[in-house]
Amino acid sequence: MIAKNDNKLELFLQALDSADSIIYGIGNVGREDDGLGWAFVDWIEKEGICPKAELVRSYQLHLEDADLIGRKKQILFVDASKKEEIAHFSISKVEPKLDFSFTSHAISVQSILATSKQCFEKIPEVYLMEIAGYEWELKIGLTQDAENNLNRSIEYFRTIVS
Amino acid sequence: MGKKLVIDPVTRVEGHGKVTVQLDDENNIIGARLHVVEFRGFEKFVQGHPYWEAPMFLQRICGICFVSHHLCGAKVLDDMIGVGYAQGVEMLPTPEKVRRLGHYFQQLQSHVTAYYYLIAPEMIFGMDAAPEKRNILGLIEENPEMVKRVVALRKWGQEGIKLVMGKKMHGIASVPGGVNHNVTQEQIDRFLDGDDGLLDIDTVIKYASEALDVFYKFHEENREQVDRFADVPALNMCLVDAEGNVDYYHGKMRITDEDKNIIEEFDYHDYMDYFAEATEEWSYMKFPYLKKYGREKGSVRVGPLARVNNTKAYGKATPLAQIALERFHVYNNGKASNKTLHTNWARAIEILHSVELIKNLLGDPDLQKEELKITPTKEQWTGDGIGVVEAPRGTLLHHYRANKNGEITFCNLVVSTTQNNTVMNRTVLAVAQEYIGGQNEITEGMMNAIEVGIRAYDPCLSCATHATAGTMPLDVQVIDSKGNLLDSKKR
Repeated sequence: MIAKNDNKLELFLQALDSADSIIYGIGNVGREDDGLGWAFVDWIEKEGICPKAELVRSYQLHLEDADLIGRKKQILFVDASKKEEIAHFSISKVEPKLDFSFTSHAISVQSILATSKQCFEKIPEVYLMEIAGYEWELKIGLTQDAENNLNRSIEYFRTIVS
Repeated sequence: MGKKLVIDPVTRVEGHGKVTVQLDDENNIIGARLHVVEFRGFEKFVQGHPYWEAPMFLQRICGICFVSHHLCGAKVLDDMIGVGYAQGVEMLPTPEKVRRLGHYFQQLQSHVTAYYYLIAPEMIFGMDAAPEKRNILGLIEENPEMVKRVVALRKWGQEGIKLVMGKKMHGIASVPGGVNHNVTQEQIDRFLDGDDGLLDIDTVIKYASEALDVFYKFHEENREQVDRFADVPALNMCLVDAEGNVDYYHGKMRITDEDKNIIEEFDYHDYMDYFAEATEEWSYMKFPYLKKYGREKGSVRVGPLARVNNTKAYGKATPLAQIALERFHVYNNGKASNKTLHTNWARAIEILHSVELIKNLLGDPDLQKEELKITPTKEQWTGDGIGVVEAPRGTLLHHYRANKNGEITFCNLVVSTTQNNTVMNRTVLAVAQEYIGGQNEITEGMMNAIEVGIRAYDPCLSCATHATAGTMPLDVQVIDSKGNLLDSKKR
């Protein structure tokens, strides 16, 4: 899911160690593999990688995040994914787009970016890392397969950033 | 002759508010029901847990009004350890004010979410506007400056919750008998004077006032529609202070009629002496009512409209909210309003009231004092407690019991949406009579109207009811006198 020699992506990831960056984990650690986003941020924090970047963990995105990201230059969102086409993990550039995903409990990354553009006239560079998950019941802890996917994403990230 | 409808759990559509409308032989509406088929089970899950976990655990019922659940649970714990209102013990000034501050921040944040994200687009674009426009995203395109202000207002509320509760969501500030921290002058100054990206208090008040302006404009342009839409009777219930005006954190439970006569007023610990709960086979949600008056006459409305109906005056300490309240009462000729869409008016008034209450509390030196909790002796343990607060959506009750080891053995939660169950059903019936009478086909206009009616209560049927306008998951069915399905529309 990641194009080889994607220079723009690699430059983006290498620039994350900056006070102008956010690494933002989305999910619920009480729902098994939905905790993947936070687990990635936990690893970043534990390893002391990108120490200058702001680390955020949230159950869900809110419209206020449009204000938050508008104050930074680059943001990496990390979320669990159910998409069948994602075998292990993927990273893709996010373009601003207002969609119908909004409820008071959830909103898409695309809509957050579009809101930042429309209301705050700010368009930071945003990428979304999606890590494949499989189980979403009320239970703390990742499944083994999700853990394997997390490790693959970590390995990739470490290779680029280190 | 209507046929009784039975919800088959197999046909349950998770997250859908299901509405059935029953017609007679002449296509006259003889009944309409809002079915709630959500089952959460928190009252069962919590059993066996240590009593002190309950306010942390049970607040996870909701991602919007979690502070209310947390504080309601905290009041129960105060009773259980023997230093609560049940024992006639007044909470120490600092913890009570810290709790209140968190409560008011949450009311602001919750009301702003419901009002601007979900309701205002209907007022600004009209109820009949296309769903793809009639939502917050439409508002972002149409009026980005307004959305920018709303985001700033909600952010201020969320940061306030974080200040008091320790986290933006599902915080841990309350402990049995008090709170675990006070608030410093430096923290207070941030909210009074503003900070990088955080509004100052005067700007917050200005933005909060604009919520009322949105309603006034809509009301002026659509007076007949607003005032006629689902004008349905119910008694009004909320917690009140010694003067008989709303108190969001603590007080007596007061119930008034349309003429504002007090028909019941009691200590909320006696709730079960006054209320019974009816059940229906077509809904998981109970129907509370005052025993003395029976189910038809004894059903109550809770939430912003009930509170504003019950409150004569907010007082001089919150002058802008007081002016707005007076305007409301004058418009309604001093009577209680039963008009469903006046709930949105009341919600806008309470946005302003919350901010003014916060401003006053931020200036109170008690917030910074060190005496944070009452520590009881072991002998004071009762193992039984009841808490009630006015959550943004209305009166919320928690009741727990624990054994001598401190493990919860019983839990009962009566949430505001349950209190509003009967009046919401009346609203659905009124809307159906207005929009479908004489027809047997469900129109988009009727779907919209049902959605607007339900949304006024901002119910917690499930997370689904918080969906953006025009997309609320609904399953509407029209049934004839013989029980045949005439039309069905789902989205």
